[in-house]
Amino acid sequence: MDILMEGKNLRKNYSTGEVEIEVLKGIDFQIFSGEFIVILGQSGSGKTTLLNIIGGMTQASIGELYYKEQPLHEIDDQQLTLYRRNEVGFVFQNYNLMPNLTVYENVRLVAEIAENPLSVLDILREVGLENWKDHFPAQLSGGQQQRVAIARAIVKNPELLLCDEPTGALDIQTGIQVLKALQKLNLNYHKTVIIITHNVEIAKMANRVFYLKDGLLDDVKVIEKPLCPEEITW
Amino acid sequence: MVMLRRKAIRDIKENFGVYLACIIVIAIGLLLYTSMSIAVESMDKAQQEFYTETNFADGFITVTGYPENKVNSLTLLPGIDQVTGRIVKEVRIIDQEKNSNKYLKMVTLNKSNATQINQIKLIEGQLPRENQPEILVDPKFLEVNHLSIGDSIDLSIDGNQVPLYITGTGQSPEFIYIMRNAQDLYPSAEEFGIAYISLDTLKVLVKEKGQVNDIVFTLEEGVSFDSVKDNLQAELKPYGFRSIVPRKDQTSHSILTSEIKQIRTTTKTLPVVFLGVAAIILYTMLRRLIEQQRVSIGTLKAFGFTDLEIVLHYLSYPMVIGTTGGLLGGLSGIALSFPLTTMYRNFFALPGLKSEFSFKYLFISLALALVFSVLSGIKGSLDILRLEPAQAMRPPAPGTARKTLIEKFSWFWQSLSSQAQMGIRDVFRTPTRSVFNVVGIAVVYSLMTVSWSMQNMTDLLTVVQLEQVQTYDVKLQLSEPSPTGATKYAVAHDPGVSRVEPILEVPASLRNGWLKKEVALMGLAEGSRLYNILDKNGLRLEVPDHGILLSEHLAKSLNVSVGDIIYVESSLRRETISQKGENLLVTGVVPQYVGLNAFMKDTELQHFLRQGEISTAMLIKMDPAEVGAMKSKYQNASNVSSIESRKDTGAKIEKMMESFGFTVWLLAILGGICGFALIYNSSIISLSERKRELASLRVLGMTPREVLRVITSEQWTLYAFGVLLGIPMAFVLSMSMAQSMSNDMYSLPADLPPMALLGAAVGTAFSVLVAQSRAYYKIKSLPYVEILATRD
Repeated sequence: MDILMEGKNLRKNYSTGEVEIEVLKGIDFQIFSGEFIVILGQSGSGKTTLLNIIGGMTQASIGELYYKEQPLHEIDDQQLTLYRRNEVGFVFQNYNLMPNLTVYENVRLVAEIAENPLSVLDILREVGLENWKDHFPAQLSGGQQQRVAIARAIVKNPELLLCDEPTGALDIQTGIQVLKALQKLNLNYHKTVIIITHNVEIAKMANRVFYLKDGLLDDVKVIEKPLCPEEITW
Repeated sequence: MVMLRRKAIRDIKENFGVYLACIIVIAIGLLLYTSMSIAVESMDKAQQEFYTETNFADGFITVTGYPENKVNSLTLLPGIDQVTGRIVKEVRIIDQEKNSNKYLKMVTLNKSNATQINQIKLIEGQLPRENQPEILVDPKFLEVNHLSIGDSIDLSIDGNQVPLYITGTGQSPEFIYIMRNAQDLYPSAEEFGIAYISLDTLKVLVKEKGQVNDIVFTLEEGVSFDSVKDNLQAELKPYGFRSIVPRKDQTSHSILTSEIKQIRTTTKTLPVVFLGVAAIILYTMLRRLIEQQRVSIGTLKAFGFTDLEIVLHYLSYPMVIGTTGGLLGGLSGIALSFPLTTMYRNFFALPGLKSEFSFKYLFISLALALVFSVLSGIKGSLDILRLEPAQAMRPPAPGTARKTLIEKFSWFWQSLSSQAQMGIRDVFRTPTRSVFNVVGIAVVYSLMTVSWSMQNMTDLLTVVQLEQVQTYDVKLQLSEPSPTGATKYAVAHDPGVSRVEPILEVPASLRNGWLKKEVALMGLAEGSRLYNILDKNGLRLEVPDHGILLSEHLAKSLNVSVGDIIYVESSLRRETISQKGENLLVTGVVPQYVGLNAFMKDTELQHFLRQGEISTAMLIKMDPAEVGAMKSKYQNASNVSSIESRKDTGAKIEKMMESFGFTVWLLAILGGICGFALIYNSSIISLSERKRELASLRVLGMTPREVLRVITSEQWTLYAFGVLLGIPMAFVLSMSMAQSMSNDMYSLPADLPPMALLGAAVGTAFSVLVAQSRAYYKIKSLPYVEILATRD
């Protein structure tokens, strides 16, 4: 498999007023094209920060990050925006849908700026929401909202799909539905999927699991035979 | 970006009230700007065109009698281009009503003179023929007196009743603003009009042979009035020269020009105030919107929307508001310009004065609205650029939680309820927003103060003028300056007369260096009780034995103060060869609300004129029941030019004050709307920011009214600071308003009585209360359970 992304000695500091916090303390990793990766770690371990750096939402304070051999750590804000626009899809724990746009409009919002967007209706059909397209987010259940968020993330046909606790706000049944949608994207469309979660069960679906502890990559575990979402429970 | 546009439209719909308030404030500003700009541009254009078309004079001379055949020879004087001699005579209209006081100013038309100055623009009918009893009248006089072309009017000319037929209507550039004299204050077409008559006809009627009493002239290009004035005066002196006035001081021209100037100033200031308030509302609203949509902004960034796309999206809100407000204000301003122009046509007889649809001002309105809105939008939305997407996705770091300054006054702080403490703390924790709101409230407060003070001022002016200054019942104006003794004696023996005081009013030219003013110099008798000069405290002041007293407005125009020397000339002064005028000491400066006068003791003025004991009018205190009889007795007397009762004067002053009344109320209402919009916006922001906090208070068992106290305490704090800042602002605004509205006919004192400050505080508080009542209903319908169940 080709290396899609490579991080070398990634460090990130935050300053909250008078206090300086080091969230990532030097992380090295490689991500291969088409992989399903789960990043596990406790609160404050740096998972979200790492995901944000991978997704171009913020830049590392120190270190190098390469995407398809291009250095992301050297590019300016405008190029980083283009990277997010064309290469990355995000799914957030709290969905972050636009409350006053309908399901269809939320997805189309992103399709409008993409270079090669997929059909909005096709994607909604794919996530099982074609009959809900004219509803507003407040009229949907949590699982439905998360599926809209997934549809919105994949409509622009990104190479990389980043999910921040995608099942964190959902019950188990709905969570499994969402995970199925993500695995389907990984297997059928060969999208690289990275999920961060507290939930160790979800790690059983991954090709590889990154264990983060106190801002360091503590361990990387390869799963020989990843499970289907139906086979896991929590 | 169809979806982002859709999002913006729905966001606007959700908070439509606030956006609407902002649109209304913008539209009000532009309504004033557009309507007044169109009206003033039309007035200016009509004035210039009318002057050019009718060859308006550069100078105006009155003289006892100058040989008609010598008039043209005046063009031989250097600088004089054209000259026309006329007979101008004021005559009384004989009416069935015995006490009527209607006059016509007869102005002759000289058809033989090819280069006519102040030509008459024929509006309807035809010009009067020579040697025929025909006249042309001004259209307003015809209309107001319900006359028609072909009707005849009976006039009293030199004691004879003369019927004259109306052949048509016409207008002259000399009588655009028609007033009988400067004391009239207000045009009254019912009582005074202009009639144009053939020179030959009037000559016969007044038994005048070959003399004119009025000369108008134009100047050669590049020649100044002052350079010809002395030559003309010298030439006319032997013929009973009375006065020479440049175009700038000609009553009609100077009133029209000062009105144009005043409207121009207003169009540049008032709309800016409203647009400024709208900008404050937009800025605070947009800041809040952006803070509220922080996560959405982060999400958009995460999906690859560029900063420019996002900033443009948030700028679309002020652009929508600006465009709507601009179009609404521009279009309604254009619509208002039509009645406004019609209103001005009632005062100014300007033939070309009309409003028309103006794309130019619609465009300017739109541009102004957009500039103000987009600037406030840019200021409010640029922070988006600083946010990294990852940072935007997180809630903002909590603000500093230090104690506010006011908490140091613990006795005060402890006396407040918890809700009040919450509200007041918020004022100090969002300093930028609070400062903007305080400035906005201060603007609203100062607008209301000025409006209130003008109301007080105009009331005061009427009372002071009629009850303390002009305490006479009747003023008998003499046609010529006459020896005092005989006239006073005759009048004193009329029925009902209890006191008679002669008064001497003469035209005078006051000069301090290059500053010069033509005024009526008034000579008052010692111990005069029927015309009083008051000092600043309203106490009667005796005219000093020597020197001259000036009104405040006059002293300001001449840049002199007590102790300075001014040079005074009068056409009624018998000159010695070396002394045309005299230097006089300014012994006092006194407030004068109506008129523009200088005052001297009568004996001192008589001495200055070297004419002996003369007077020009008799002030009479008498039984009001006998006023009618006196009017009847003197209305045909050849040596009496007019009889005016205090009642007539009062009616004129009140009519003038009514014209202010509209402005005063308009200002107060518009100020109130602004205040409401500002506070309403602030309530909505507080409500949305504190949704969870307020919902918690409701869940804890507080009533909506108790919860409202959090918001009201914040707003009353802003209100208190706004009023404090508004007081000095009101003083500045009041001073500049009084200055811009004062002219040579009346001067408005820049005074802010405590009632005005208090009244405006109540008015502003009222608009705050109305806005808060809207907030109360919002709190009442707050879905507090749902709010607490949803995450931020």
